[in-house]
Amino acid sequence: MPVSKRLMEHAPAIDAPPQSLADYKATGGYKGLEKALKMEPDAITQMVLEAGVRGRGGAGFPAGRKWSFVPKNTGKPIYLACNADESEPGCFKDRQLMERVPHLLIEGCVMACRAIGAQAAFIYVRGEYPQSIAALEAALIEARDKGLVGENVMGSGWACEVWVHQGAGAYICGEETGLLSSLEGGRGYPRIKPPFPAVEGLWSSPTIINNVETLANVPVIVRDGVEAFRSVGDDDTAGTRLVGISGHVENPGDVEINPATTTIRELIEVHAGGVWKGRKLKAVIPGGSSVPVLPADAIDVPFTYGAVKEAGSLAGAGGVIVMDETTCMVDALMNLMQFYHHESCGQCTPCREGTGWLEKLVTRIWSGEGSERDIELLDRVADTIGGAQQGKTICFLADSAVMPTKSFLKHFRDDFVKAVADGGSPVFKARRDRHAKTSTAAKTGTAAKTGAK
Amino acid sequence: MATLTIDGREVTVEPGTTVIEAVRRLGADVPHYCWHPGLSVAGNCRICLVEVEGMPTVQISCNLGVRDGMVVHTQSEKARQARQDVMELLLINHPLDCPICDQAGECKLQEYSFDFGTDGSRFDFPKVHKPKHVRFSEKVVFDAERCILCTRCVRFLDEVAGKDELDIINRGDRNEIAVARGDELTSDYQMNIVDVCPVGALTSTDFRFKSRVWFLKQTRSVCAGCSRGCNVTVGSRWNRVLRLVPAENQAVNKWWMCDDGRFTYRDVGADDRLGAPMVRKNGRLVEVSWDEALAAAAEGLGNAGKDLTAVVSARLTNEELHLAQTILDHVGAGERGYRARDFAKDDMLRTGDGNPNAAGAELMGLTPFTTDLPGAKHVFLCGDGVEQNEDLSSAAFVLVADCRESQTILEFATVVLPSVTAFEKRGSFTNVDGRIQRVEPSVRAPGSALEDWKLLGRLLAKLTGDAAPTSADSVLKSMGATRPAFEGLSLGRLGPLGKSTATATAAANGEAQ
Ligand SMILES: Cc1cc2nc3c(=O)[nH]c(=O)nc-3n(C[C@H](O)[C@H](O)[C@H](O)COP(=O)(O)O)c2cc1C
Ligand code: SF4
Ligand code: SF4
Ligand code: SF4
Repeated sequence: MPVSKRLMEHAPAIDAPPQSLADYKATGGYKGLEKALKMEPDAITQMVLEAGVRGRGGAGFPAGRKWSFVPKNTGKPIYLACNADESEPGCFKDRQLMERVPHLLIEGCVMACRAIGAQAAFIYVRGEYPQSIAALEAALIEARDKGLVGENVMGSGWACEVWVHQGAGAYICGEETGLLSSLEGGRGYPRIKPPFPAVEGLWSSPTIINNVETLANVPVIVRDGVEAFRSVGDDDTAGTRLVGISGHVENPGDVEINPATTTIRELIEVHAGGVWKGRKLKAVIPGGSSVPVLPADAIDVPFTYGAVKEAGSLAGAGGVIVMDETTCMVDALMNLMQFYHHESCGQCTPCREGTGWLEKLVTRIWSGEGSERDIELLDRVADTIGGAQQGKTICFLADSAVMPTKSFLKHFRDDFVKAVADGGSPVFKARRDRHAKTSTAAKTGTAAKTGAK
Repeated sequence: MATLTIDGREVTVEPGTTVIEAVRRLGADVPHYCWHPGLSVAGNCRICLVEVEGMPTVQISCNLGVRDGMVVHTQSEKARQARQDVMELLLINHPLDCPICDQAGECKLQEYSFDFGTDGSRFDFPKVHKPKHVRFSEKVVFDAERCILCTRCVRFLDEVAGKDELDIINRGDRNEIAVARGDELTSDYQMNIVDVCPVGALTSTDFRFKSRVWFLKQTRSVCAGCSRGCNVTVGSRWNRVLRLVPAENQAVNKWWMCDDGRFTYRDVGADDRLGAPMVRKNGRLVEVSWDEALAAAAEGLGNAGKDLTAVVSARLTNEELHLAQTILDHVGAGERGYRARDFAKDDMLRTGDGNPNAAGAELMGLTPFTTDLPGAKHVFLCGDGVEQNEDLSSAAFVLVADCRESQTILEFATVVLPSVTAFEKRGSFTNVDGRIQRVEPSVRAPGSALEDWKLLGRLLAKLTGDAAPTSADSVLKSMGATRPAFEGLSLGRLGPLGKSTATATAAANGEAQ
């Protein structure tokens, strides 16, 4: 099965310095922008719409459609916000783009600005990505120097500035409206909709928010044309996808694939060298930690939005988390619930109170204090909070905690029952025994010393 | 206009209306904590969820705009279940210390749990602990455990009071409201956050632990702190005023009042209240009967005639001012007027005019006093004997009607008629915009002190031989004949929200009558 490289076609090796402007230009870089500057802005949007590229940040909303929502002539400035927060556990694909082909993203930002009528783009990069920030900043210096960004883009007389903004380490700032609040200098609180950001976003002005990978596709679409773009993928998922594979595999990493012809199993077995240590596969979370988990027998599906959904999960943000047969799903779920509880912004009642409750319940089961009732309750409390976009909360973080919970219980209930029956999860027991040993050792040690005296 | 169906009932509202507003237009309501009609929509408590036909998910009614033909269910199984779920979650970390909570009895958590909560909780973990008794200022104390993080307090200070002084710190279920600018709250309107707080997280240091609210007698009246005339609900018990909270009046104070206004009740319980009429005999003030005091007052006024200098307080009601003017006209008093009283001024409510009824005084033909009292031969301090300490040693006759003792009274008064505070009488004030509003008594005055309208009415009767008026209402009803601003009014007709008459409004706007 061939690797389908498009965004990463000319990317330097993973440890090499970022692609320079000269190298980028030598391989067709900024050709898309040059073409776009000669087009009507609406025609660029139209191309992106026809290309059918869907948002790579998780929700899969068609980018061209989103762009078409920007109201014209409001008298307010229009902004582009590039979501480079990449805070979803299991995802590390945007980082590859920023650190290896930064100019591709910058070109995409400038082109998107051109299409939506913006003259300023903000790339919101997670604080934990200092290399991404450095790569982008360096590339921006080159781009400004060569007139690709700034007062007079490619001599067209049109101005467009691109700013890099460093986040401060909160998952919720990856949620698009939380990102806007944070960018404005406020708490990373997601906002109620309506108003939608395309109408009222940054500083109450029309704002388009797109993921790094979504924007990185724009130069390719305009440069090569819609047809060429759609030659990879299918009607549901047009173009390539960058997917990160992590967890219990031999070679974790990112790969760019043709989603229509690559199955989840191939991602694991071919691209990531298979499950590590010769073990068997137990479970896969295919789209980043917020989507339902799939059992080992449900992964022979292509990595398109539609196919993964049919299999019972979501392709989401393209982060495949692999768990081998030794994984205790109670332990895995506890880890996830610690995360969602810790990261809930606390604005809405169900999420603020409920994520903590979920964590407490799993922890109790994990540590052998749980009962059958707690397993049942875990499932019910999840329903109480939300799930499947029930509308109970402002953003989808709550639903993101519910989806793993429900699916873990659906597919791996036995692990939970076992933890209840056996006095805790294997991880808990191993830890407890280790602790018991060290403390006995410490005690004996002390006793010996005392004896020596 | 948009016509929608809510629980089977049709309602037509302007576009831009939200569903919760439309529901309330029907006289019904949807439970809500964070939504407040005077604040921006936060949409965070998630309790106002409703079901809308054609929409796959439940919707918060506070942020959902109406559409023509929309069909809303506030009581469907799905909506009720969603709200019950939120209710359960709201309570899992709540301390449930209702027995010692000041909000008990007017707490929305209690109300909604009673309405649709479940008995018992499925939550059996130790609750999250947060700081209690946090001092936000000398006026406001915060209990983070009771707080449901609705942000009403944050939004009030920011959006209404223009002081961005509170914010949220930490994250998730560790979130806490905290003073974010400076060390403590400085807003002159900060006590409104105690009122908007739907639970017992914010309490007033002045009121907390004084009384369970359900024992309070609640009386709707008007604040006498300044000429805005904010509508208030006076809470009293044991014949003592214990607190003032704003009462909604969109034409005057919306939902708010200033902090100074809340403390105006302190005059009521002052140590120096006058409780008995007095007449000076052999240089000493001695308690006498009302009859004797009124006779002495009438005699003194009659003797003074045009030499009488009268200061009539613009803190008196319209009815009282009318009676005072009638007396002064009858006597033929030469100098008369009211004294301006300064007060804080801002661009929210406080007008800068410490007289609650300056507009009323002007309508009665009184103007701010300019003459100096020292030197006057005959003086009538009508409701104005407390604050100024003039040297009235050259006056032969000084009649004072007021509610508190003062240096002026002790040294110079010839006759003292004990009157009452605005909390002890009935009548009306005309506010800065010419709106005539009803004042209601919430407590009884000490001793034999009389409402000013009553003592002035009796004094007038002594002077004219006519019958004294039997109520403030009868004075208001009759004064309309000679004073067009009050034509056709009665206390009943003013209703809880007051009335503007064309004449009063024009006068307030400085237009010629
Ligand atoms: C809790 C939460 C965290 C999110 N984090 C990210 C993120 O780190 N990066 C991202 O691109 N989208 C993230 N999203 C999705 C964004 O809200 C949004 O859908 C996306 O940025 C839109 O861009 P796209 O249409 O190009 O995908 C997150 C969503 C939620 C609910
Ligand atoms: S769902 Fe959770 S994270 Fe999202 S806004 Fe509500 S409280 Fe914050
Ligand atoms: S203190 Fe009261 S008003 Fe403020 S957020 Fe908490 S519950 Fe709401
Ligand atoms: S603004 Fe004036 S009337 Fe209103 S509460 Fe304050 S003092 Fe009383």
